[in-house]
Amino acid sequence: MPTIDDIQNEDIRFEIGEYIERPEEFERFVNLFSSIVPLLQDIAAAVIDGDNGLADELTQQALADGITAETIMDDGLIGGMGIVGVKFRENFMFVPEVLACARAMKAGMAHIEPILAAHGGEPAGKVIMGTVKGDLHDIGKNLCIMMLRGAGFEVYDLGVDTSEDEFIDAVEEYDAYIVGMSALLTTTMPNMGTTIEAFIDADIRDDVMIMVGGAPVTQEFADDMGADAYGKDALSCVSLATRFSRALASEAA
Amino acid sequence: MAAPVKEMTGRERVMAALNGEPVDRTPVANPTSVATVELMDLVDAPFPDANRRAELMARLAATSHVDLNFDTIMPVFSVIQESSALGCKMQWEGKGNWPTVRMSEPIWKTSEDIVIPDDFLMHPDLQCVLEAIRILRREYGNDAAVIGKTMGPWSLAYHCFGVEPFLLLSLDDESETRRILDKLSEATILFGRAQIDAGADALTLPDHATGDLVSGEYYARYLQEIHTNFVDEIPIPLILHICGRTVDRMGYLSHTGMAAFHFDSKNTPEESMAAVEGRIALVGNINNPSTLYAKGPAEVREEVYANLEAGVQMVGPECAIPLQAPLENLMEISRAVKDWHADQAVPA
Repeated sequence: MPTIDDIQNEDIRFEIGEYIERPEEFERFVNLFSSIVPLLQDIAAAVIDGDNGLADELTQQALADGITAETIMDDGLIGGMGIVGVKFRENFMFVPEVLACARAMKAGMAHIEPILAAHGGEPAGKVIMGTVKGDLHDIGKNLCIMMLRGAGFEVYDLGVDTSEDEFIDAVEEYDAYIVGMSALLTTTMPNMGTTIEAFIDADIRDDVMIMVGGAPVTQEFADDMGADAYGKDALSCVSLATRFSRALASEAA
Repeated sequence: MAAPVKEMTGRERVMAALNGEPVDRTPVANPTSVATVELMDLVDAPFPDANRRAELMARLAATSHVDLNFDTIMPVFSVIQESSALGCKMQWEGKGNWPTVRMSEPIWKTSEDIVIPDDFLMHPDLQCVLEAIRILRREYGNDAAVIGKTMGPWSLAYHCFGVEPFLLLSLDDESETRRILDKLSEATILFGRAQIDAGADALTLPDHATGDLVSGEYYARYLQEIHTNFVDEIPIPLILHICGRTVDRMGYLSHTGMAAFHFDSKNTPEESMAAVEGRIALVGNINNPSTLYAKGPAEVREEVYANLEAGVQMVGPECAIPLQAPLENLMEISRAVKDWHADQAVPA
């Protein structure tokens, strides 16, 4: 059974010891970071620190050392963002810091994505993402998209101010099973409900799983609007999409 | 035992509450917006025109007092008037949606780019507000408090620089962030003073350093001093509005000298009252999306009572309400406040 002392990177040890309070998450992060080479731990630490220059440099170094693109992404970049997600959820970190971490992850992903794209392979699932009609905020949605893509999902980003018809058209055009809707304003949140009603009117509500999120959105509101799930943050968004995708796969099996 | 307070007009009630003086009953206040599609139809003053034509703006705003029995009238339904005047790209939308700023197309990149035009106050979207305040002062000035609105520099920075670029800048370059906030504060002060001249009784000052985006420490670092300065520069009761979870900054903002803080339902009335320790009055905090929009009068009444029992000084919706919120829910707020006070007056 590995312990936190088996992690070589001092910053990662500090982050886990200081901020990861749930036992199952503590164990998961200790298992992950104690099992990967120090360079990947350093990449994760650079992401957590929001150091895009270092994340860029270390990602290139890891590729040059022969570590696969998938491993660098999963263990280093996404591993680091996993701790960021927990710190955000627990209010140890706020949006400016998360944006800096995302910027660092993107710096690494700029080297990873072309390699993954060249390899091809089946996506984990297809997700349509958009901010609802009348709402032009997209930070949360963009963080979700970055994490979904990192987790292997094919994501179609409809941007902001997305009408009901645009969501429906995208589901039909891309044959997607998962829809994610975001809103930052209490004044635009009801448009989640009208969009879900539009899916009912178009007779395709049962063909999709709809998840909603955004700072003012709650589980209660999601239930009232008829959504299938509510995600509090980008980590939840990935968990929900993974759950939906696996359920679909098991139905098809 | 203190002598009972004589019956007040809405305006007297609100001004007393803002000044920390006794009131005959808790005011029902609307520091942001209670415009709805139903109210637009009722007085034939629909969006987007009601955001751009003074007479329609005043007519729609007056419904909060005339039809909903609020003690305040707030003619500025949105948060975009100044940003329009500063040159932001606008999306005026239609009757069923709010006008908004296209923040994905920011107009400025550095503090050097910031220009508050010499004729800023002459912009039609600001003149519209000023004229609406004059109309309301003339028609309802003794009955209801006319509340204006001037946007704080943090919110203006989101609009002019984009939310994501500005938040990243706030982490990367503190000095540049301060230069931006200082320069944009000029717009806040100019428009605030103009609304005083037009006849506003008090001003809401939204500045969205919300707990959903930034920490309480951020508020203390970047905004507490600026907000304190506004109290001197804009000599009228100011109602600070910040959405979301804000308990972690209520201690800081309660020291600014502002008259009131308009708080969100993510903060309970009890914890909020405890956090401000009587240094600033509270206004709020009826939930919008779950209660006023999606539930019924019974649930509205329950939240009104929770605020009154906690001692919240003015009761109203937590923020600008969804345009589709039903009128019966909005009307329930003032009914519940009156009923609660009537019950309190009955001898045991």
